[in-house]
Amino acid sequence: MTTANAQGETPDAVATSVSAKALAECIVDLGITHIITVPDTVQKTFLAYMEQQDKVKILTVCTEDEAMGINAGLYATGHRPMMVIQNNGFYASVNTLKALAFDAQVPTFMFVGQFGRDLTKDSNDNRRRGVRMLEPTMQTWGVPYYRLENPEDIGVVEEAYRKCQEVEGPVAVIIGAPTGQ
Amino acid sequence: MQRQEAIDALCEYRGDCLSVATMQAASPWKDAGQSAQDHVDASDCMGSAASLGLGLAMGAPDRKVMVLDGDGSLLMQLGSLVTVASLAPSNYYHFIFYNGLYQSSGNQTIPGHGKTDLCQVALASGYKKAWKVSSKGEFLEALPEIMNSEGPVLIEIEIEREDGPTRFPGMPVAPQIKALREQFT
Repeated sequence: MTTANAQGETPDAVATSVSAKALAECIVDLGITHIITVPDTVQKTFLAYMEQQDKVKILTVCTEDEAMGINAGLYATGHRPMMVIQNNGFYASVNTLKALAFDAQVPTFMFVGQFGRDLTKDSNDNRRRGVRMLEPTMQTWGVPYYRLENPEDIGVVEEAYRKCQEVEGPVAVIIGAPTGQ
Repeated sequence: MQRQEAIDALCEYRGDCLSVATMQAASPWKDAGQSAQDHVDASDCMGSAASLGLGLAMGAPDRKVMVLDGDGSLLMQLGSLVTVASLAPSNYYHFIFYNGLYQSSGNQTIPGHGKTDLCQVALASGYKKAWKVSSKGEFLEALPEIMNSEGPVLIEIEIEREDGPTRFPGMPVAPQIKALREQFT
């Protein structure tokens, strides 16, 4: 795996950091009321940034199954929640994804971090199975997803959120590189 | 106590509560007339009743929320007790129908039956109070204190084994979610 230089950059990376501030502004603009998270290493600066503000409540929970249940309950009572999890957590939550996000038609908007990714390679070419299999798993289940690979992709966050409301089901933004400051 | 006796007792104290029910509690709760606008089944996602109810409780803090859970169901996501206690909604009432069996799949004994004390697990997780009741009279006597307590609280209701056919409500969850959301938006 290629490592970052002293400036925290990975010279030959195909995915680069999106700032926590830019992500936070998107989330606030969308009117998100709650972030339900099983904390993700890839999004740790984003989570830290959100902890410092008071517009969106942060709920840290034990499992991604729980996150989906809480998401459904908050949605049913008129709120606009979202989830922040990692690839491994997505795999762990598939039964609840099936029942609550798909069958119960609950808009389930999630940021999914590509934990363990070699940033010099396309995620589908990564050696680590947890990275490589994320998109194929989402394709198998029919989960629409959007790649956030670089700062110029930031518009996919709003696009994904609109899609989630439209399809009344799960939609993911895959966070391809560790979020920045 | 029979499951139906426990349902009947809960009906006397549910008021305008929101509710979640799962597994073998779902059908009798529906038959007992819980408003379709105030209820969601945790259906086809065994273990999710606690977290679904937690979302309702946090989303509607002015309404009490009754979660009608199963013992085997709770074990599927036992960490939910920690999450509920951590977020600590004061309007959260967690009822566990305890028969020590996976009834729906043929009455196999659940792990920990006779050893694990769910009330103690809940209290150690940070629930405010916990009760264990085994007769309808005992349950009816405790219910006023239970429903006047600040949540989250857990009540283990010991029910008898049932050997008849298992029942599920057959009501899709999507319309329940939509009906609930309509009254909050």
